[in-house]
Amino acid sequence: MAAVGGEAGSGAAGRGAALRRWGVRLVPALVSVALGVLALGPVLGPGFALRYDMVFVPDPPLSAASLGGGSGFARAVPSDAVVAALATVLPADAVQAIALLSVFVVGGTGAARLVPGGGWAPRSAAAVLYVWNPFVAERLLLGQWAMLLGYAGLPWVLAAVVRLGRARGVPRLVVALIPAAVGGFSSVVLSALVAGPAAVVRRGAGRLRALGWTVCALVLVSLPWLIPSLSSGARTDPAAVELFAARADGPFGAAGSLLVLGGVWNAQAVPEWYGVPVFAACRVVLAVAAVAGWVWLARGGVRSAPVFWPGLSVAAALGLGVALLGTVEPGRELLRALIGWWPGFGPLRDGQLFVAPLALLQAAGLGGAVAWVLRSVRRGAGGTAHGGAGAPGEPLSSSKAESGTAPPFGSSGVWTALRLGGGRASGAAVATGAVAVAVLLLAPVALLPGLAWGAAGRLAPVDYPSEWRAVRNLVDGDPRPGALVSLPWSAYRGLDWGGGGRTVVVLDPAVKSFDRRVVWNDDLRVAVGGRVRTVDGEDPLARAVAPAVAGGWPLRADPSAARRLGAAGVRYVLVDRAAARAALGADGPGTPGASPGTSSDASGGAGGGTGGAAGDADKNTFFISRGDAQVVHKGARFVLLRLPDDHVQARVERLSGLEVTGWFVTVVAILWSMVVSGSNLVPVRPVRSTGMGTWKENRK
Amino acid sequence: MIKILAASVIGAALAGGLTFGITTWSTNASADAEPVNESLYNYGDR
Repeated sequence: MAAVGGEAGSGAAGRGAALRRWGVRLVPALVSVALGVLALGPVLGPGFALRYDMVFVPDPPLSAASLGGGSGFARAVPSDAVVAALATVLPADAVQAIALLSVFVVGGTGAARLVPGGGWAPRSAAAVLYVWNPFVAERLLLGQWAMLLGYAGLPWVLAAVVRLGRARGVPRLVVALIPAAVGGFSSVVLSALVAGPAAVVRRGAGRLRALGWTVCALVLVSLPWLIPSLSSGARTDPAAVELFAARADGPFGAAGSLLVLGGVWNAQAVPEWYGVPVFAACRVVLAVAAVAGWVWLARGGVRSAPVFWPGLSVAAALGLGVALLGTVEPGRELLRALIGWWPGFGPLRDGQLFVAPLALLQAAGLGGAVAWVLRSVRRGAGGTAHGGAGAPGEPLSSSKAESGTAPPFGSSGVWTALRLGGGRASGAAVATGAVAVAVLLLAPVALLPGLAWGAAGRLAPVDYPSEWRAVRNLVDGDPRPGALVSLPWSAYRGLDWGGGGRTVVVLDPAVKSFDRRVVWNDDLRVAVGGRVRTVDGEDPLARAVAPAVAGGWPLRADPSAARRLGAAGVRYVLVDRAAARAALGADGPGTPGASPGTSSDASGGAGGGTGGAAGDADKNTFFISRGDAQVVHKGARFVLLRLPDDHVQARVERLSGLEVTGWFVTVVAILWSMVVSGSNLVPVRPVRSTGMGTWKENRK
Repeated sequence: MIKILAASVIGAALAGGLTFGITTWSTNASADAEPVNESLYNYGDR
């Protein structure tokens, strides 16, 4: 009987251990999903959430332009192409919802597995902070979903880099880089910032080899945007350094803003209630606690120091340094010089972007802080540490501290802490510990309520008007080649498609809507102290077209406009009438030229200014004689003009052989890596190693 | 494990409900608060 009882007992214990292991994996994942749903809210429903750079369109075209075939820097490659490919099997708004939710799920689960100890509470704390912080909120409000995909992949990349040198290490790194590969340029830059230091400062031999493989993997996943960008002739305006530098978005200055992972350059991308002093002060406390937790982890607080701690520490320090560069004049001078020397340094201008590794560090550190609280409670209660052993996903711990400090409540987490009493802990200690853990778990959300439910309503889905689809069908139904120019000659539009009198500023959706090249003004207007400053765009074709669409002021017919546009390869001119009327009404005399076909010789008009500053108005006027263009659509919102064949010297946009090769190599390499690695992301259950101070594969 | 899941569900529901309630109320209270530049739209304001 005793034997039977013992077997039954061991069976129950085994089942309990298995459940705990699943809990340790599952809870952070569920937390990540829940936070994603909470943050996105209505965005997950039907319709398209449009805001600044986030533009999803119905049935996006998989065109040569979306694959990198146009001129200018390939910032939207390959993210636009991936979206278009997925939209062939899913509704485009569902693709957007999946992409945004992926940021939370991939990021949260990845951050969770970096926390040593195996407890679900510390891991969940890491997941919470990594996906719910000012960086995520502000970048989401800036519409940079593709960059956020790369951000979500950072913990996976870090984990994969420290595994290099093991079997299938390289293919697993390539797989871990998939989110960055989809995200494109900025995502890969962030991944490089994390992966580079992690490879260089890793323990043991093979640093150079690891760095070499890391560079190769980064280049491999970058080919779709790297090749067209290198041959694009794109330029970067050094003047942007001052405009896009990190800024103080709270009461503690630029450095304080960056410390709490805020500091985005755009004041319109700051979440609601962000500036409430109590929240701001508490965010600083939280950041300090997270960094302290990181230090504790790095000193082997949980059984052993994470093997990635030197690399992540260096990456976070480097990133913070880059972000701080733009906040002081000598740093800005340096950045301007670098960008002037080589446009490839352009990404350095957006300083806040580079606090992403610090976010990962703080996330893991908050997990460490929770683990510390749990252990302190237990020790204070006089119990003995236990837990840790056999925890799934036992993270990237170095083996040198194998016999170091006792583990905290590793695999059992908070509930064990509460139960740890087991008659030993005092009620006060348990209660204090539980409250402290709960506070740390919920603090990131509570201190940033402006991210919840579509960023407090700022991300709200809208439907494209039927007229939009009609215009697109007209253009896409024309087999003749030739680009489309989108007017007014300004990159951003104020759309009120959601009704309710709310206008959302968003990149002109025309840019991503047509299966032919769209020429748009990629100059960036930024208001500073009530004055609008302009950052020169990067697209050479846009620069060539600009003189033809920027006539004089006041409006006057330009008989050469159609011919000049046609010579630049343009066949269609799309005019957003609402935007044109608004611009002309604000800056000019009435609406001449804004109602194509209705005036004696005006076929299209678009104008603009700076909200009353007539000085810039002459840059945004367009006037074309009716005889030089055919009005193929005229509706309440849009006018579509088609230039005659004899004007149009169309160029067929095609990918070069090199670009096709780049795509082929990247796609094949990723598919091969997925097959070889045996998973769609790097394995979740590494086994501790006794060699090289790292860990070994659990799969052979 | 059941306790863990129960605690998680209850906690998530409370946090979510509270946050949703607050944000809904506040969003409704400031529906027209988002600043928009008048005619041409900037990439942003520093």
